Amino acid sequence: MACDNPEHRHCLELFEKLSEYIDQELESETHRHVEAHVAECLACSACLQTLKQTIALCRQAGERSVPAAFSRKLHAVLQSTTKPPLP
Amino acid sequence: MTAAPPSNRPKINDNDTELIEAINSGQTEKFSELVRRYEQKLYNFGRRMCGDAADAEDLVQDTFLNVFRYLKDFRHETKFKNWLYRVAASTCIKKRRRSKFAPERELSLEEFVSGEEPGAAAQVPDWAQIPLEKLLNEELVQTLHQAILSLPEQYRMVVVLRDMEGFSTEETAQIMNISSTNVKVRLHRARLFLREKLKGYFAHGL
Ligand SMILES: [Zn+2]
Repeated sequence: MACDNPEHRHCLELFEKLSEYIDQELESETHRHVEAHVAECLACSACLQTLKQTIALCRQAGERSVPAAFSRKLHAVLQSTTKPPLP
Repeated sequence: MTAAPPSNRPKINDNDTELIEAINSGQTEKFSELVRRYEQKLYNFGRRMCGDAADAEDLVQDTFLNVFRYLKDFRHETKFKNWLYRVAASTCIKKRRRSKFAPERELSLEEFVSGEEPGAAAQVPDWAQIPLEKLLNEELVQTLHQAILSLPEQYRMVVVLRDMEGFSTEETAQIMNISSTNVKVRLHRARLFLREKLKGYFAHGL
């Protein structure tokens, strides 16, 4: 990929900013600049797509439920600790 | 004019405010309600940070014990959830320092830049174009979790908070007590690291 080729300096500069670009955290001018470059550079566009998909996978990876036995134990431990001392 | 006393700072009211005030006013039996609200969130945070179920359980328990101990100091200057994660993050870091002495590895951008031969045909790989619901399966989720666990801890925590738990850059910075710039730098490197692992998985797996 040219975006991973150190000789392609412009792509390399953008490579550093791709996460901020995806997160909409760049100033509008820089954002537009990245957008325009990605539209015409297939290498950077491929970079961007794989990075976006990586993030999407993280977001969708799902949650486990708490094991019931642990939850019971946790509540029991905390209950005994948080009980105010007897007068 | 002198600085305003802390009590004049804007207080953030969220769904937990009432419950916390009740607990702090002596109704400690209500603490279990607070635990119910967040045990699943924290358990998942623990699994993502520690991997091991037993370590995650320890983290959840220690975090709630610390929360109970310090709840009176909570000033409602952030959402309770963010404060809770701050306690969890520092509990996690302390625990892991105790258990292993290996220095943290830093990830540099260069290691993600040199991976491929220049001039290779540039095209968007299949796995980046398949809709997520078709792509996601148990094996892929396992691969992703393993990849997250192989990240150095400081990077792992950033990507877990930002991309899995859904905190903003600012919130992550507060939770981890680092600058927003630092969050962004680590996040980008962590994502590139995960992307490399996924590329490897799809190169062999699809
Ligand atoms: Zn480019």
